[in-house]
Amino acid sequence: MSEVDPASGVPISEPPSKRRRVHDDSLDSTPQYGSPDSAPQNSPPNSGRLPDQSLSIRRGPPSRSRSRSRDGDATMDNENEDNRRRYHSSRSRSRSSSRARSTPRSRSQSRDRHRSRSASYSRSRSRSVTHDHSRSRSQSRSRSRSRSLSSPSHPQPPTHDKPDHHHRHDQPPLLPNYHQHLLLQGHKGAVSQVRISPDGRWIASASADGTAKIWDASTGAHLETLVGHMAGVSCLAWAPDSNTLATGSDDKAIRLWDRVTGSPAHAVAHRENTAADMVGVVKKGGVAAAKAAARRARMGVPGEGVRGGRTGRGPLLGHHNYVYCLAFSPKGNILASGSYDEAVFLWDVRAGRLMRSLPAHSDPVSGVDFCRDGTLVVSCSTDGLIRVWDTSTGQCLRTLVHEDNPAVANVCFSPNGRFVLAFSLDNSIRLWDYVSGSVKKTYQGHSNKGFSIGGCFGVLTDHDDGGEEQPADDDESRQQSFIASASEDGDIVMWDVKSKGIIQRIEGAHDGVCFCVDVYGGIMVSSGQDGFVKVFRHRPKSGPVKREDGDVNGFSGANGHREEDETPDAAAAADEELQRQVEAEAGSPGQHVKEEQL
Amino acid sequence: MNLLLSDDYLLQDYPENITNTIRSGHSTCVRFNRKGDFLASGRVDGTVVIWDLETMGVARKLRGHSKNITSLSWSRCGRYLLSACQGWKAILWDLQDGKRHREVRFRAPVYGAELHPWNHHQFVAALFEDQPMLVDITDPADVRYVLPSVTKRPNTETDAAVREKHAKEDAKHMTTAIVYTAAGDHLLAGTTKGRLNIIDAKTREIIYSEKIASGIITTLRLTESGKELLVNAQDRIIRTFIVPNLSTTDLDLDTIQIPLEHKFQDVVNRLSWNHVAFSATGEYVAASTYNNHELYIWERGHGSLVRMLEGPKEEQGVIEWHPHRALLAACGLETGRINIWSVTSPQRWSALAPDFVEVEENVEYVEKEDEFDIHPQEEIQKRRLDQEDEDVDVLTVENSAGLGDDVDAFRMPILFNLGESDSEEEFVNVSLGTLRRKSPGDQDEGEMTGEEKGTGKKTSGAGRGRGRRK
Repeated sequence: MSEVDPASGVPISEPPSKRRRVHDDSLDSTPQYGSPDSAPQNSPPNSGRLPDQSLSIRRGPPSRSRSRSRDGDATMDNENEDNRRRYHSSRSRSRSSSRARSTPRSRSQSRDRHRSRSASYSRSRSRSVTHDHSRSRSQSRSRSRSRSLSSPSHPQPPTHDKPDHHHRHDQPPLLPNYHQHLLLQGHKGAVSQVRISPDGRWIASASADGTAKIWDASTGAHLETLVGHMAGVSCLAWAPDSNTLATGSDDKAIRLWDRVTGSPAHAVAHRENTAADMVGVVKKGGVAAAKAAARRARMGVPGEGVRGGRTGRGPLLGHHNYVYCLAFSPKGNILASGSYDEAVFLWDVRAGRLMRSLPAHSDPVSGVDFCRDGTLVVSCSTDGLIRVWDTSTGQCLRTLVHEDNPAVANVCFSPNGRFVLAFSLDNSIRLWDYVSGSVKKTYQGHSNKGFSIGGCFGVLTDHDDGGEEQPADDDESRQQSFIASASEDGDIVMWDVKSKGIIQRIEGAHDGVCFCVDVYGGIMVSSGQDGFVKVFRHRPKSGPVKREDGDVNGFSGANGHREEDETPDAAAAADEELQRQVEAEAGSPGQHVKEEQL
Repeated sequence: MNLLLSDDYLLQDYPENITNTIRSGHSTCVRFNRKGDFLASGRVDGTVVIWDLETMGVARKLRGHSKNITSLSWSRCGRYLLSACQGWKAILWDLQDGKRHREVRFRAPVYGAELHPWNHHQFVAALFEDQPMLVDITDPADVRYVLPSVTKRPNTETDAAVREKHAKEDAKHMTTAIVYTAAGDHLLAGTTKGRLNIIDAKTREIIYSEKIASGIITTLRLTESGKELLVNAQDRIIRTFIVPNLSTTDLDLDTIQIPLEHKFQDVVNRLSWNHVAFSATGEYVAASTYNNHELYIWERGHGSLVRMLEGPKEEQGVIEWHPHRALLAACGLETGRINIWSVTSPQRWSALAPDFVEVEENVEYVEKEDEFDIHPQEEIQKRRLDQEDEDVDVLTVENSAGLGDDVDAFRMPILFNLGESDSEEEFVNVSLGTLRRKSPGDQDEGEMTGEEKGTGKKTSGAGRGRGRRK
């Protein structure tokens, strides 16, 4: 567990970490921001561009060496041809029994698994699931996010870098065209996860420096620094009402925060004076306060709560090892957490009570997610398994495993909840149909071998694309779903869901590994090893060109958010002013550098 | 979504064993909301507790009554909850902020109050030794209409003595249970004389009346569709009736018929029934028994007893069936715990290992022709990728059940300040205080607060207590 030095905010000593290993062979490179001409090129992953920074955390722990002997890996993965039940000559993967662990939890970061899989055919399950492909716009709004942010008002002509078959359509497909919009600086360590709130207005970032920060998604203003964890923060999750944030840390605790006040999000103040004081909040650049709080926190006992529960403002305690992934249920009443202790916990958020412990995996749980109606939880682990759980009973309903058994580093449900997207450490992202248990798509082209990088589904609609001229009829409205993922070479890669083709690559978004990408309509955020959070905006392809006359209305009437497709001059002026505002607000000039690339 | 993966549809559709026991104070009545994700419970101390069935934890506490809660009724959207108490009042709660939306005071204890199925600004209340009322709270000042319990007698009787006698009789005739029909245009009312009245909600006149039971009608329940009526009466017989569509335009008042479908009774033990409930579809009828621990479940199609549910050694009061799951909630009369019966599906072990399939009998494995052929890794990889030509749709939601997918559905805020209020101290205090306050005149059903024993407390914090106490 990495200690946070209160003076500098960076971890002291050799910070061990779990997932994120460093590429050593790396050239230095200045961050290349996605400029319009460089972005659409589908260049192969350039894995040699990583700087050999001295990383704060996320370096491989020297003390972990896993010796896993998985015997009998020969597989005969034939699936039954028909739907009748029959025996499979199954893989003799005696996973749980024949694992020899040398020391309790010692694993090498270069996980050398002996895979000697013999002839294994691709699965051909014949259980065919019929899909209803009728699109209806209202239903398919994923996660019921109301896209209220960007409403550019420009028509969108056909664009250049799309697959050929799309040209034949009457309406050109929406293609993501994200450009860097804001650069959020302030974290003193690698930013392990960044997420946009469900209402699209806020950005939360979790960092190895032991803090989480909340930013305004439209202006990039830094709003809160959440100090309280005693080690690097690995994960965070937004509650569906966007008012509560959960963070999970290497100090084994999960903390809930109120977004508005920045204080721990539970109000009962009984027998927790020390706890309340210890968990300080740093508003707007109060670095001294942060240090003081951190110092106080360091001196205190790191767990006022009862094990497996919470009293007062204490954190959610119960995991025996690093908390590594978090997800809120769609109603916000359940929080799922995955940990290095190989379990998935379901917490009753209201009471802070451990509701159910799922004996999930035989390796650290690297990702959890809820499906859209909250009845299913998916978890994945570096043991290569993806498990789907029934939330209400806690039973495992399905286990998904790829034939090569690559470690799975992240997992999420598709917006409609019918598929599971798994990020595995063989440079592949796989789309699983969890009902049939088969891989539907494999997305490749990014680099992911050692770190648990994150990605998500993104959906672009006419609304995001400035579709005021588009017909309002639901059937006519276009939707483009894509998959966005970070890449270990610092890029952000986006794939078309159906064709598996790369439709945008933002090169060099981060210096070093890009850890996490989250998309909310026309906004995309990313975080990386360099400690930065970057905000990207989708830009309709010809918007700025048409508005050369400078006739812009920089604010959309409904909510006053600035549109992203202003003319360069106006945008630059607005940016300067915005930046001044941001700095004034933050009270720490230079903390926020904002760059608009046009 | 989990229905795609589970075999739960194979399971029986009535509950089997007790799966949870939750407690917050001494609950006397419970009610599920329409979506079935929350359970409201009313306590003897007047507190209304909203339970989240997913977490089995308290989602809200509503304080405003000071007496035993007698009935609860959810609005269609799930945002409003009407609670009525013995303390002569009914409160409509707004669950968005947990405050009282409206409060209506009566001049008598309330047997039960039910919200209009579509309009949460209207409700009916059956009052103790008073005529029932229809209350309209659309305007800031509520409007009350007294509803009749007796059919108007034709004014032909000239004899004053007879008239007086009739008036006396009518004055004794009280409504003890009243519910809205599914459309909300009519009211079904049960009386102390065992009569079932149909009241037009607009004209507020009885359009039909029939004696259906020989005792006091204590409970009236309709299925979700409103086509079946369940009547519990003090003559130890549970009856189901078929309710005609009363909302048709060409309704002929003279031809209304409420045909009796089934009578459920225990002729051997002569049991009387505390409370009754329809299952989600109306396929089953469940009843809690007086002076007995068991819950009875009958199948309505054949009218046969299918199950006697055993639970804790405690008489159960109000029971409620979940609106779409095989789940029963019942209030223990003595302890005030809420016991939940449900079905538990066993873990399928094949789900844990994808290569295994559970088979009923031995299956001979037939090796495929090319099963052990050796191909280069790249070729396999390439072939595998090439096979991924299926069209996937990650956006369109398959609207299977239509339940809970409403976009504007009310979402209960998540509260963090509920605290540890389910402590033993509160429980003891409450029960003692309530016992003292309880007036002997109240004989409403399901409120027989037994002698409180402070032993064997199982806090609701234990949550998933699969306790089956013997």
